[in-house]
Amino acid sequence: MEQDPIAPLLLQIASQDRVAFRSLYSGASAKLMGVLLRILGNRAEAEDALQEVFTRVWLRANRFDAEKGRGMTWLIAIARNLAIDRLRARHDTVDDEDAMAAVADTTPRAETRLIAQGEARRINDCFSTLEPDRADALRGAYLTGLSYIDLAARHGVPLNTMRTWLRRSLARLKECMET
Amino acid sequence: MTDTSDPDFILPDDDALAAEYVLGALDLAERASVEARLKTDAGLAALVVAWQNIMSGLNDDYAEAPAPNLMPQIEARLFPVATKPARNWLGWLAGAAVAAAVALVFVLPQTGPPAQLVATLAADPASDIADLIYEARYGEGELTITRLAGAAAPAGQVHQLWIIAPDAAPVSLGLLDGTALTLTYPAPTPGWTLAVSVEPAGGSTTGAPTGPVILAAQIAI
Repeated sequence: MEQDPIAPLLLQIASQDRVAFRSLYSGASAKLMGVLLRILGNRAEAEDALQEVFTRVWLRANRFDAEKGRGMTWLIAIARNLAIDRLRARHDTVDDEDAMAAVADTTPRAETRLIAQGEARRINDCFSTLEPDRADALRGAYLTGLSYIDLAARHGVPLNTMRTWLRRSLARLKECMET
Repeated sequence: MTDTSDPDFILPDDDALAAEYVLGALDLAERASVEARLKTDAGLAALVVAWQNIMSGLNDDYAEAPAPNLMPQIEARLFPVATKPARNWLGWLAGAAVAAAVALVFVLPQTGPPAQLVATLAADPASDIADLIYEARYGEGELTITRLAGAAAPAGQVHQLWIIAPDAAPVSLGLLDGTALTLTYPAPTPGWTLAVSVEPAGGSTTGAPTGPVILAAQIAI
């Protein structure tokens, strides 16, 4: 794997290094803010969530394992989990208009230097093997935190149909990524 | 549309459940149930990590968005009282000057019975220096820091002791290169922080910690 500039900072933070903690904020806060804004859709909430994300990073840094994944992947997982939990707590269902608007905003953005570009190319290749509407639903769920209920409404299918679609698509995605 | 009688809701296959959790498509109750299981179920946790890695290529689609500097609020939340960044030069200078003025350092052999305990600096039990403990005691105008357990810094390095007043930068109190360090000190101030960093032999040459801060504790009397 490519070099991982975040991993050594996380190891230092695990040993209570506050200087490393500030370096991590400088280096990673813009990316994590991008994640939180995309999912929460509101700057005030995203800024509040960003504080919580870095609080969790400080408290959990000793659980980061560079053997299991990249530092940025670990950070984004913390940010996404927090943002999705807050989104679900805010309203367990989104009305169709919100869901439509959120799904419409899934065009790929400029790639960032923080993530190995090979990974992105591979997952995009694998997505292209799925039916377009199912690939679209997967991206909408991952990038903007749409729930099964939101996705079913957006695509006009029953909830369980959506769940079956996505489970099959996830199985195919995994198979493709592992080959 | 919201039929939840699907058996998948009751007996989910763990790999599919991990994928759905990472995808973010689950509702709040389902997410809470996965998160509760993750605390004790290493198998499910490994599946979640695997799915995070599978999906990580999509993270490129998240555009960066400028974030304001929220470190002051974050540090205030995590480290109450100590090491908030200086609000301005005057505040920084005042804090540093006060801390420096009271920190006249002498290295003496430890004498007499231990005085009143003012801080215990113990390592995170999960860290690789889990057994390291320093204790700070104060009595009769002297602050004594004693290594109760664990090893001194490895060859070529040294543990350096710092005191951090609120809104001020750390000020060195000396090198912990033996088992104890005693220094004259007017009175330890509750709420100030004692910290130990790992520095090159001879100590930090910048006047500030340069290596990892491995221990920190607030003074409490």
